[in-house]
Amino acid sequence: MNIFVCVGSSCHLSGSAKIVELMKNAVERNNLNDKVKLSGAFCLGKCTEGVSVKFDDEIVCGVSEDNFDETFQKYVLDKI
Amino acid sequence: MNNLCTDVGYHSLYKHGEQLCGDHVDVIEKGDDYTVLVLADGLGSGVKASILSTLTSKIISTMMANEMSIEECVSTIAATLPVCEVRKVAYSTFTIMRILNNNEAELIQYDNPHVILLRDGKNFEYEKQRMETGGKVIYTSKIQLCENDVFIAMSDGAIYAGVGKYMNFGWQRENIIDYIEKLYDDNYTAKVIATLILDECDCLYGGEPGDDTTIAAIKIRTRKPVNMLFGPPSNPEDVNKMMSLFFSKDGKRIVCGGTTSMLAAQFLGEEVMPDLDYFDPDIPPIAHIKGIDLTTEGVITMTQVLKYAQNYLTDNVCYYDWSTKKDGASQIARMLFEEATDINFLVGRAMNPAHQNPGLPINFSLKMRIVEELSECLKKMGKKIKVSYF
Repeated sequence: MNIFVCVGSSCHLSGSAKIVELMKNAVERNNLNDKVKLSGAFCLGKCTEGVSVKFDDEIVCGVSEDNFDETFQKYVLDKI
Repeated sequence: MNNLCTDVGYHSLYKHGEQLCGDHVDVIEKGDDYTVLVLADGLGSGVKASILSTLTSKIISTMMANEMSIEECVSTIAATLPVCEVRKVAYSTFTIMRILNNNEAELIQYDNPHVILLRDGKNFEYEKQRMETGGKVIYTSKIQLCENDVFIAMSDGAIYAGVGKYMNFGWQRENIIDYIEKLYDDNYTAKVIATLILDECDCLYGGEPGDDTTIAAIKIRTRKPVNMLFGPPSNPEDVNKMMSLFFSKDGKRIVCGGTTSMLAAQFLGEEVMPDLDYFDPDIPPIAHIKGIDLTTEGVITMTQVLKYAQNYLTDNVCYYDWSTKKDGASQIARMLFEEATDINFLVGRAMNPAHQNPGLPINFSLKMRIVEELSECLKKMGKKIKVSYF
């Protein structure tokens, strides 16, 4: 699975750096290093409150520290 | 004509407790024809010294720029400077550095510590002729220029730094030469060289300079263009026009902005590959596009570059950040402040709808202001700037 975390201006201001860190840790913790490729993306065109993340072809907006675990479960763990 | 140009940089430390500097630097440049820099150190400190040195440097730089002789300059100074009530003399030392056609330097020195010339980073002893005019002993030199020659002029505050505190006899000219020879790097700009020496003086003075201290440097370097693309054009039909122009220019290329980098990549038939490494948590990661030297995020990165540029023009303490860090803003700062002599900005005026959210501290007018303020700062650094809007 390819995961792209948006690091464009708006998402950066909404906390991309934190989401990238959480994402790296989550991938590590679940031993998904060989199943998931984590990359950055410039603007995904969905600037909202929160960070946009693309899981393969699906863009999920508004990812934050609060809903991160839920999002990771739904879009990564449940699908792999 | 040759491909050389002059890069000028100077800064002063004020005597502890003074609000005015008794040293004054004046620079007059006329394209590639000549650059005249005069560093004057007025007698005493405070207001009186400041008036003496300002008058001296202004009069000399104006007269020298008009190719009048040194004798005329000195007699004009003697006739003009107000005489000190206490000391019954009108006195200001001066150092003149005149660069002609970027191939010859003329130094005229009166009572300041002698100019240091670094050639390929090593001290170069140049010939000086002694002459007397109006009762003053003046040393003159003519030097054929080489690329990377650095001329360093200073007021005597520099060599008195640390007297009695950290060094019994102060920091002599030889010590300054040793210091800068050890640190020297071809990438240093004149301003960086000046502030590196000044920072050391400030340390030796324990942060409380006992005298006004000024360092002025001129570096002879080759011209180097850098091109910067910032923002998509307001009319989407102009994308190809903007990109063709950007890629037709000589020199390194920087692309700023998410959408902008995608358009540039499309034009080249390449991909944008953003990094995930945050070298500075406040600056978004850079990206890579084959064929482009540096790709970064837009407004946030450029806001930081502007801060660095504004600081460069004062005491340049942020140098220690941007000169080594790997984030996008530091990399742009190095390319624009250190490498470039000529900068072409291609600025797109498209409004990013996502940025017009009142909750975000970024918007269209901010972007335009950054471009304007940054180009002003770069002009003050002596760069040739061209801004084209699309």
